[in-house]
Amino acid sequence: MTTIDKAPTVQSQRAGTGTRGTRILGTLTIVSMVWLIAFGLGFSPADRDQQEAVRIMYVHVPTIWIAYLAFVVTAVASGFYLFKKSLGWDRLAGASAEVGTVFVALTLIVGALWGRLTWGVFWQWDARLTTTALLFVTYVGYLAVRRLGGTHEQRARRSAVIGLLAVLLIPLVHWSVRLWRSLHQEATVLDPDGDIDMDGLMLFSLFVGVIAFTLFYVWLMLHRTRVMAMEDMMEDRGLDEALASRRREAAMPDSEEN
Amino acid sequence: MTEMDLTPRGPADPAASAPRAKRKWMPILVLALVLVAGGVIVTQFLTSAVDYYCNVDEIGVRDGCNSERRIRLQGTVDENSIEKVGNATVFTISFNGETIPVEYDGAPGGIFKECIPVVVHGVIEDGTLQGDRVEVRHSDEYVSVNDERITDAEAVGCSSA
Repeated sequence: MTTIDKAPTVQSQRAGTGTRGTRILGTLTIVSMVWLIAFGLGFSPADRDQQEAVRIMYVHVPTIWIAYLAFVVTAVASGFYLFKKSLGWDRLAGASAEVGTVFVALTLIVGALWGRLTWGVFWQWDARLTTTALLFVTYVGYLAVRRLGGTHEQRARRSAVIGLLAVLLIPLVHWSVRLWRSLHQEATVLDPDGDIDMDGLMLFSLFVGVIAFTLFYVWLMLHRTRVMAMEDMMEDRGLDEALASRRREAAMPDSEEN
Repeated sequence: MTEMDLTPRGPADPAASAPRAKRKWMPILVLALVLVAGGVIVTQFLTSAVDYYCNVDEIGVRDGCNSERRIRLQGTVDENSIEKVGNATVFTISFNGETIPVEYDGAPGGIFKECIPVVVHGVIEDGTLQGDRVEVRHSDEYVSVNDERITDAEAVGCSSA
């Protein structure tokens, strides 16, 4: 009896970057995002001064905090790469930087919307906004450097150095409102004096936002790291195949070329 | 044993090489743009972001806060000082016991109101700040609109100016 084995094709089509762990993480992310929508848009009150515009804070603040976290992960993974020389650390650094850069972009966009509603302007070259823009541009540069070409090891080495240097911008961004006079307000939750001047339900909604975006970050980073591993494998396979092809050609008799 | 020939093929396949060339130049282009953007941002930082404003009590006292030049002035909008005069909005701002009248051509945006800190851009003429931009500085306080502390907080905001 003839059998048609379709299993490998179906298997390969279904092969992806998901695992049981990421699926659970993805489900938790969706649940926490629903919570964030419920608290951010529903249960939490309007602000005395900002009115409904305060709800932008539940995206604006978590995204920049998680971006800081992402860039710290990039720096730590870069350091580990330089010590261990394992490309896994490099891919982790790259994936984390990509997610962090997207989150900074999101921070800048929603911050501009909040600024228009509260300050009356979308953008102003004050200390916080300017240093945040510099942080964004620096990590766009980091991501561009990762794509300059060369071997995986060359990519990992040069980006690790930049990843370790770029993270030094984070304290500058965070403390810019204290170091210089800024249009942007000072920190409320991370106030060095420890005095959190925020309504309880607003603070809880912000906490839900931090949880939701942290889960989202980890989920994105895990998938992206695995996609990067696949890309590296494909590049390696392409190189191996090219070399094998050239070897086959070199081994061919001259008559076959005519 | 036949020696391996690993030199590139003679006539390159344009279709195959085009995406590779694109991938090579794109990061360099992005890096060039990053350098330009970085230069612009650092320039803006040095010229504008450091000490974004002067306080009202620093006019003519602090470096860069001369009344003869264009200035960004920070102070709290005084209670019962906002008036509409034609298209203009007239009010006074105070900081640390010093007060200056402001004339702004139009209606300030954002959450402009009494007892809130603002930064006004403009020039001082005859002791009045002729503003062409008003930005509201929000404090680090987040108070529920229904909170019973509203009255107290507003009072503190105005009295601290």
